[in-house]
Amino acid sequence: MDFTLSNEQRAWQMTARKFAREEVRPISLARDAIADPRETFDWEIIRKGSRLGFRTMAVPKEWGGHGTDFVTQALVMAELARADSAISKTFSQCWKWSHLIAATCTDEQKRRFLAPFLADDTFLLGKGISEPGAGSDNRLPPEDPKAGLKLRAERKGDEWILNGEKCFIANASVGKLFFIDARTNPDVPLRQGTTMFLVPRDTPGLRIGKVFNKSGWRFYQNGEMIFENARVPHANIVGPVNGSDMKTQQAGDRTGGDLFGDLELAANALGVCDDACGMALALAQDRKQGGRPLFDQQLVQLKLNRMHLLTEALRSFVMRVAWEHDHRMRSANAGLCMNFSTDIIQEVTELNFDLHAGAGLMDARADKLVRDAIIWSHLAGDSVQRMKVARRLSRQELSDL
Amino acid sequence: MYSLHLSAEQLEMRDTVRDFVTRELKPAALAADRLEARERPLLLDQLDQASQLGLRALALSESAGGAGADNLTCCIVVEELAAGDPDVAAVLAHTWTLAHILFDRLMTQAQRERFLAPFLDDPRCHLAHAYEEPDGDASLGIGYHRPRAADVSLHTTAVRSGNSWVINGTKHRVVNAPLAKLFAVEVAAAPTGDGKGASTILVPREAPGLRVGPEDSSTLRQHGACGRLILRDCRVPVENLIGSERQSALPAEIKLHASQDLALNLGIGRAAYEAALDYAQLRVQGGRRIIEHQAIGAKLADIAIRLEVARAAIWQAAWACDHPAAYADRSLPDLPLARIAKVFSSQAIYHAAKDAAECFGAMGVMRDMPLQKYVHDALICLHIGEADGETKLHIAEAIAGYRRAPTNLAAE
Repeated sequence: MDFTLSNEQRAWQMTARKFAREEVRPISLARDAIADPRETFDWEIIRKGSRLGFRTMAVPKEWGGHGTDFVTQALVMAELARADSAISKTFSQCWKWSHLIAATCTDEQKRRFLAPFLADDTFLLGKGISEPGAGSDNRLPPEDPKAGLKLRAERKGDEWILNGEKCFIANASVGKLFFIDARTNPDVPLRQGTTMFLVPRDTPGLRIGKVFNKSGWRFYQNGEMIFENARVPHANIVGPVNGSDMKTQQAGDRTGGDLFGDLELAANALGVCDDACGMALALAQDRKQGGRPLFDQQLVQLKLNRMHLLTEALRSFVMRVAWEHDHRMRSANAGLCMNFSTDIIQEVTELNFDLHAGAGLMDARADKLVRDAIIWSHLAGDSVQRMKVARRLSRQELSDL
Repeated sequence: MYSLHLSAEQLEMRDTVRDFVTRELKPAALAADRLEARERPLLLDQLDQASQLGLRALALSESAGGAGADNLTCCIVVEELAAGDPDVAAVLAHTWTLAHILFDRLMTQAQRERFLAPFLDDPRCHLAHAYEEPDGDASLGIGYHRPRAADVSLHTTAVRSGNSWVINGTKHRVVNAPLAKLFAVEVAAAPTGDGKGASTILVPREAPGLRVGPEDSSTLRQHGACGRLILRDCRVPVENLIGSERQSALPAEIKLHASQDLALNLGIGRAAYEAALDYAQLRVQGGRRIIEHQAIGAKLADIAIRLEVARAAIWQAAWACDHPAAYADRSLPDLPLARIAKVFSSQAIYHAAKDAAECFGAMGVMRDMPLQKYVHDALICLHIGEADGETKLHIAEAIAGYRRAPTNLAAE
């Protein structure tokens, strides 16, 4: 086993660390404190990060991107998240769909969409799945055709007409191109009747509704997308009609998992944990009680120990999953790691909050980290996400026989 | 005589307050402008309505004009109030607790004559206790199981000048400060630095030299309205001293009512639980109401277990303070029951609130929904007063019998 990073991986990590420390961290708390969820976003940090490659780093080299491997991506996400989890996620959201484009789009589509994406520092990507009545039903679809997303797409000549509504869609208010899952056959179960469409922001009939006012990840824009007779060319269909599910299969991921997304949340959590550990250690060394540094107290040492051991365990798991992805070893590990990261990020940020509160402090950053960490509850660690991974394990057992 | 029956009065009180909370308090508390956890305007109209129900004087003895509620009854009421709004609950609980301690237990007859009538007559007369100081260090922490250097480290001083006390200093984290009309201020009686006990002096809001300011944003929040007192050559009559000089009994008396803070926390947990239970019976995923899924059913069960066990611990601690003889006759264990209940209940309720929010999926973190507020409010309860580890250190000293007479444990 060799844990050494290559020079290239190390270089990306150092660039990300410098950018995170010098550019991201200084704006993190101010952006979090803005009350209007539409105003928390900052294009300047996106432009700066984009110029360093943090928007396009997952696009393959042959298509003009940086073609970084998963290990590099995990390192960079953690470095950026250490300064601001939501800003890190805004960048990595683009990588998630870069992977999808690379894996599933035709060469014609890649030419049409990757070129403008690469050329424009403010070109962000998103994907619309969730709807007001369909959250868990999209993740674990029941057989009932009525369950799951309802956004309807009907063909008219060379176009598809989309009607319906998406909610909580990442980058909705700032993205320029979206992958939209729509029902092309409402009479069969979700997985057999759903098609994925490439929908540019300026599609006629598409408008953005409200931006959701979350308690954590406030920089990250989750919004409504409303489709009223929105017209999408047939040439924008990704994969076969009624074949939305192929995103994972064509990527070679036979586990049914989301190749990048699971790793993404775990790596982001790792950065937040690093931040919490750093804050807690600094507090323990600097702050005094009864004339002595807090660090002199056994209970403080035990809490710091717990924070670091959990964080290092998460690091090992994240880097292993990234390495396994790079070696095309498919398993349920990414999903398990994502579930695990929920427990870890929450306990570690709560311990950091506890140490600050114990010193009588309402530290705005400690509070922010706890609020950001609670986002994992419904994204990465809710019971549906855990059962989904268990079912991957079960299918994997079958295919191993 | 072991009985878990509530009295007819307690049950009636619970119903009355629950009805008030459902009709008046909760709808106002869940208005959009209050769901932002950071800035919450206090619900003054509802506070007035609660006063009219007699809640401001809930614990004040009947002979003095109150309802004479004991600790357990106060716990029942404060839980109901906090299920509607923890800030209103905190304001009222501070006022009724201080009213009982000051008017029923610590004031002289002459003081009662001066202060009781104005308190009863003004439905907006709230009370506050000013103890903590910005540069104070009240933690046990590093001093665990070691001799204390000094009992008091207050920097606020009161010097006698003719017929007045002249008070100088700053107090922070004063619950009810923005609206209280009478403050019980803990001071070091004279700047001798001899480490003797504190004194309690009553300071009316209009006293010359008293200024009430907002709380520093870096200070740990508390429920209720908080603020700072800045006392600059603040003069009050010498007759405003409560009890004897350097023998303030107020902090110890307040400790006897600590279980009410825990019941407030319980109310927050219950609000989260009730919201999740309702939603789980409405929301359909996987072809059935989500409560019919094992994962959500077991989660709701977990929440119910945590809240009910917490309530049992809190009520036992409250009852113990109402019945100190139960320690003497060995009916109760020789343990600091309030602190034990604090550690268990505040952790249990925080996890219960998080689980309740998770049942809502993404809606659980939205600021236009109350779940994120319940989680935030429960997190605050986890850290107000003594933090978790600090409380355990106090419990450890108590069970070792360190510097304590066994009969004191009822107060912990």
